[in-house]
Amino acid sequence: MDVGRHPNINLLAYSEVTEFSGEVGDFKVKVHSRPRYVDSSKCTACGACAEKCPTKVPNEFNFGLDQRKAIYKDYAQGIPSMFTIDPEYCKVMKGGKCGVCAKVCQAKAIDYEQQPTDLELNVGAIIVSTGYELFDATQIPEYGYGKLPNVISSLEMERLLSAGGPTKGHLSRPSVVHGEQRLKELPKLIKRAEKAEKLEEVAALQEETKRLEHQVHTYHTAKKLGFIQCVGSRDFRFHKYCSSYCCMHAIKEAIIAKEHERETESFVFYMDLRTVGKGFEEYKVRGADVSGLKYIRGRVAEITQDENLNPIVHYEDTEQRKVVSMKLDMVILANACSAPKGTTALANLLGVELEENNFVKTDPSNPLDTNIPGIFTCGCAQGPLDIPESVAQASSAAARAAETVLSGGRALAV
Amino acid sequence: MASQEVLIIGGGIAGMQAALDLGNMGLKVHLVEKNPSIGGKMAQLDKTFPTNDCTI
Repeated sequence: MDVGRHPNINLLAYSEVTEFSGEVGDFKVKVHSRPRYVDSSKCTACGACAEKCPTKVPNEFNFGLDQRKAIYKDYAQGIPSMFTIDPEYCKVMKGGKCGVCAKVCQAKAIDYEQQPTDLELNVGAIIVSTGYELFDATQIPEYGYGKLPNVISSLEMERLLSAGGPTKGHLSRPSVVHGEQRLKELPKLIKRAEKAEKLEEVAALQEETKRLEHQVHTYHTAKKLGFIQCVGSRDFRFHKYCSSYCCMHAIKEAIIAKEHERETESFVFYMDLRTVGKGFEEYKVRGADVSGLKYIRGRVAEITQDENLNPIVHYEDTEQRKVVSMKLDMVILANACSAPKGTTALANLLGVELEENNFVKTDPSNPLDTNIPGIFTCGCAQGPLDIPESVAQASSAAARAAETVLSGGRALAV
Repeated sequence: MASQEVLIIGGGIAGMQAALDLGNMGLKVHLVEKNPSIGGKMAQLDKTFPTNDCTI
């Protein structure tokens, strides 16, 4: 929040770097800002537009677990505090008639004609902090991600656990969340089919209603959870490296789940539990002692599901020397930390070298420097890190950048 | 004339921290983010280990 208010920080959100030239102390950069179709100087973020907007679209911030409007804000506290029209879905942008948001906006901030802007900057140093992207678990078909509704990613679990998320922090299974959404639509569809006298369709829809009602009521809350570690990490088919934060992340999610619902039982399927960090090992022990987490050493071979959409994990328990199948309510995958897809394009533009996994290449003795003098990197852009490490690196990169610009680039020559 | 401004590409937790540090030193910072809001992945997290604190 301080970032948005800081007098020295020029925030250019919804923007990308498109052109780059120059050298340390004197880089020329062009930043392209996409139009939001909302005037940032007028929008007060009151939200009246989004309330009245008739176009609902899946909310990607919550991984489609709920819906947002075509004029939206990623999340309530989002900075800059203003709304954006999504041109992919807005009826006016698609050439249709609507204009509801412009009518209800008291600040007169809606501007359907807004054009993109380009800004040229002259900067002395650059920090690349482009972060990471979740590994796409559909690449491991045996885990059924994307096909089995109750197999989700670790970030989807975050949204389910969040009080500000789609379920307000209630641990509903995704099959229930989607089922409830569908149940809201069904009465309308049944009426429409009845009017059109399509009897077969009516019967099919009524059958679906019955089935969904049973599912929603019987299997509402996820109480038996399975956490599968190293999904795409430490796997020679995908990423050979360890994503470092996932063990702690899974333990944290399991502990919080237990806090939300006392009957929760969690199983963590791991190869090694890597809890390296201040207070981390104690946290793992606390997970077992206080929250009753069960750590099972073994890799899950396959996930299937039964007729009630309960995922069944098939694994080898290497401590018991047994092959086991376990029925669970929900499975959470610890997706690997991958380099974002846009990294290659940005690296080509800046001339920055990447390493084999597409993270920014750094040297162990200069962990924040890229191959281009004056361009630094920090956070997950250079490799998987947890939050405390990212923050520490960010401060270090800031110090390097300050040293560079304040000395006019001379500091790097030493 | 050498510029004393800094460009940061990516407005997640790392980019925001770097921007605040530089801004507090009195340097002019431009923070570029491709999404409508800054915060990155951190904004999607509920609470963080090992203290179970809220992130936002």
